[in-house]
Amino acid sequence: MTILVRRSNLMVPASQHRMIRWAWNRNADAITIDLQDGIPDAALETARETLQSAVAQVGKAGAEVFVRVNAAYVYADVAAAMCRDLRGIVLPGAESRQHVAEADAILTELERHHGVELGSTEIIPSIETAAGVWHIREIITASPRIRQVCIDEAELAASLGIVQGADPDPFVYARGRLCIEATAAGVQPIAVADPMGLSTENLSHDDLVQIATDARNLGFKGLVCPHLNWVNPVNDAYTPTESLVDYYTQVREVFAQALAAGTAAAPFAGRMIDVPVDEWAKDVLAMSAACAARDAEKQTAHEKARIWQETAP
Amino acid sequence: MADHPRRLKRSGLTMPIVTERFINNAWHRGCDFINMDLEDSVPPNLKDVARNLVRQSIPVVNKGGADAVCRINHDLMEADLNAAVWPGLMMVNYPKAEYAHEIRRMDEIITRLEAERGIRPGAIEIGANIETAVGVANAYEIVSASPRIRDFGGASGYDMSRDLGVEMFVGFDQFVYGKGEVELTARALGVEPHAAPFTPNLTGSVSDPDRAFAEADAARRCGFRIGGGLHPNVVEPQNRGFTPTDDEVADAHWVLEQYRLLSRSGDTWIQTEDATGQPRIIDRYEAARAQELLQWRALCEERDREKSEAISRVRAAEEHAE
Amino acid sequence: MPANDKIRRSWLLVPMSRPERVLSAHQAGADVVILDLVEFVAEPDKPAAREVVAANLSAVKAGGAEVFVQIDPELMLADLRAAVWPGLNGVVVSRAESAEQIAQIDATISSLESERGLLPGSVEMVAGLETAPGNHNGYEIATASPRNWGLTLGRADLIMDLRPEPSGEIHLMQYLMQRLVTIAAAAGKTPLGASWRHPDRGLLATPANTLAAARRGRAIGFKGSFCVLDNQVAPLNEGFTPTGVEVAAARAVRQAYSDATESGTIAAVSHDGRILTADIARQYANVLALSDAIATREMFKTAAVEGRPVPVP
Repeated sequence: MTILVRRSNLMVPASQHRMIRWAWNRNADAITIDLQDGIPDAALETARETLQSAVAQVGKAGAEVFVRVNAAYVYADVAAAMCRDLRGIVLPGAESRQHVAEADAILTELERHHGVELGSTEIIPSIETAAGVWHIREIITASPRIRQVCIDEAELAASLGIVQGADPDPFVYARGRLCIEATAAGVQPIAVADPMGLSTENLSHDDLVQIATDARNLGFKGLVCPHLNWVNPVNDAYTPTESLVDYYTQVREVFAQALAAGTAAAPFAGRMIDVPVDEWAKDVLAMSAACAARDAEKQTAHEKARIWQETAP
Repeated sequence: MADHPRRLKRSGLTMPIVTERFINNAWHRGCDFINMDLEDSVPPNLKDVARNLVRQSIPVVNKGGADAVCRINHDLMEADLNAAVWPGLMMVNYPKAEYAHEIRRMDEIITRLEAERGIRPGAIEIGANIETAVGVANAYEIVSASPRIRDFGGASGYDMSRDLGVEMFVGFDQFVYGKGEVELTARALGVEPHAAPFTPNLTGSVSDPDRAFAEADAARRCGFRIGGGLHPNVVEPQNRGFTPTDDEVADAHWVLEQYRLLSRSGDTWIQTEDATGQPRIIDRYEAARAQELLQWRALCEERDREKSEAISRVRAAEEHAE
Repeated sequence: MPANDKIRRSWLLVPMSRPERVLSAHQAGADVVILDLVEFVAEPDKPAAREVVAANLSAVKAGGAEVFVQIDPELMLADLRAAVWPGLNGVVVSRAESAEQIAQIDATISSLESERGLLPGSVEMVAGLETAPGNHNGYEIATASPRNWGLTLGRADLIMDLRPEPSGEIHLMQYLMQRLVTIAAAAGKTPLGASWRHPDRGLLATPANTLAAARRGRAIGFKGSFCVLDNQVAPLNEGFTPTGVEVAAARAVRQAYSDATESGTIAAVSHDGRILTADIARQYANVLALSDAIATREMFKTAAVEGRPVPVP
């Protein structure tokens, strides 16, 4: 089974033209063009007009491109976004099976209309309310287009009438439910990084790596990055380090030798290596290979884009 | 369910059934149960050999009074059950339980084997281990699937961590939701919940007796009764940690006496001070807890007596043989 | 946030078998007085306690409080006959366990309402999810009757025998509390509770610890809590009210956000070194709305105490 490597998903407001122009160059696995936040209705029409070129622009170094649509204008937003370069949409405020089914039908219709492969456009439901958290199972199983589901803690806080950043952490249940149900359904849980990090200015690269590592250890498979400076730390946190790869390569060798010798446990570097450790080692090595493949893919695309940029008039 | 005596599971060693010296030496450790493993600790090429050892190993692990448990392989369920369900076995541990139909299938097979092999119907328990997200998601259906499930917990540990892709020892509790789900399920369906209160453990040590005691003690104070481990060092600390102390017994008697006084007053609760000057509430909940503590202590004492007598009997017989 | 704006921060439980407590209840300053027929009334005293409910309904409201009666589902008929009289605001169903049970209680209330000249549907309900089956069926219970206004864990810690962990947290309570908040909000109901810690046993805490429990409770989404002692009322009122600091911060955010949105199409403005998005602005707007509603409620209570004509709440 191939592993979906989508560590960083950089959120870029559609109205920020400078960011749209340069986001391709920041090494994100995915980029989401946001039509929702902070764009007045009057500006939406303009944003829609340039959306397809923005999709192509941000994706030229190999990032998968998503568009966050407005919950109130799913059809118009998708109609503006639909093209071969579009990987999928982020569907805000998903609360029910019905909600996803409607978006699914819209995508199918517009895929047909634009000659895009049917069923190829993903839906990432964004869980922003308690109803979304509670009905998570019916939401994420409502369409085969769903490969990831996102929890937006800032929205969730607003919906619960609380101010986030509270102690005790108010989202232990919501996050846990999302991770368990998504994993059970074979869907990747992801989170919006912002509420986990609060003030981003004062955080170093290492701080951001730590935040992303904590998110990984809560079960999230990637983070939606609210700012450019999140991308590399998030990629780093989700990519097994060289020393980890070396260690687990040896673990696998030690365990294979143990099995050959008729035992299913062997000491190595102060630790007992048994089936669960070996299985974990397999996962780390597979993830490492998948990340390497994804990075190579992006590298190739990036080279091409750079050369094209330099030689372009 | 009520027809079968409650078996204590304060301490238990899990060991590869193919390692003869472990199986032969485990009986005198004082475990409430011994878990003969056919799963992860047995290499794939030895699974057949392992299966053939279960029937003869049951009396070996039983002889010191420990109950015999067998952990089978998720993917080899039928063959393993056929090898494991023999008189003297108390429970089958089923790893990575995910769906109710798996449990119903096990129940059918065990029911048939009990009938064929002269085991009292319904005697063999099923331990449904929740080790994956799917298992958590289906917990309620799983426990509902068979009355042989008499206690329920899990949703943490190595397999769970792998399924979620989270590291084991990170300094915070990664499993709050899953543990909560399985515990609520156990309580809602009236089977004994078992849970481990979170204690940060950055080393993953399985042989530290102090740590084992602290964990068992914390779990007991939270109302839990079930332990188990991998290393002989942890058996005694777990037996001790899950058994109420003399002080607690005295305190329980004091609570019950206060409650008797309260009952005559027409009040439903009072605030008072105990012998150490601590403010205490006395009400029917405290009384019920005290009552339960005394019953549990009596069960622990009885179980400890049973085991030490069994061990003495074996020792006497061995001396006699010499 | 659930679509209701009733300010019910402190719910003072008063044993119906204690005439002196009933008489003084209106002086405690509670938003709601609960006349208890369940938990604090010894079995032999229950018939006499039921007899005096009707006569006391208006007396306990003299301080501007609303009045609920706590009933026992097993003694539903007798308790409801004692409680459902003009003046009653609602009932608390202790140990609610199933949707069927709630539907039965709803139907009984309906017939008493019509028999006794109450406005149909005027008697509200709060369901106490105090047992494991009750919690398991929480969402079905919450949605079983339009009378349902709120959900609480009530005395779940005692009834389910949940004990302190080494950290001082009561075992399973964080999970149960956040689960309840999620269910309540998903069903459009109000979650009630406070985050009590060891050594506070159930609802018997000092005023200082009550304030702390209320603040921690509010941080995860609770809007008010039950209590049993008069001196716990003020800390609950305070704990479930946004602090002056919060209100000042919320005003500043409102200003900063409106300045930013008026001046252009910027998606995020900086405030106190934080990135300010629409949903964060919404969290703070909630704080201001709550603060205003509380001020109105307090005015109403003060007027009631002083015997002045009360402003319409």
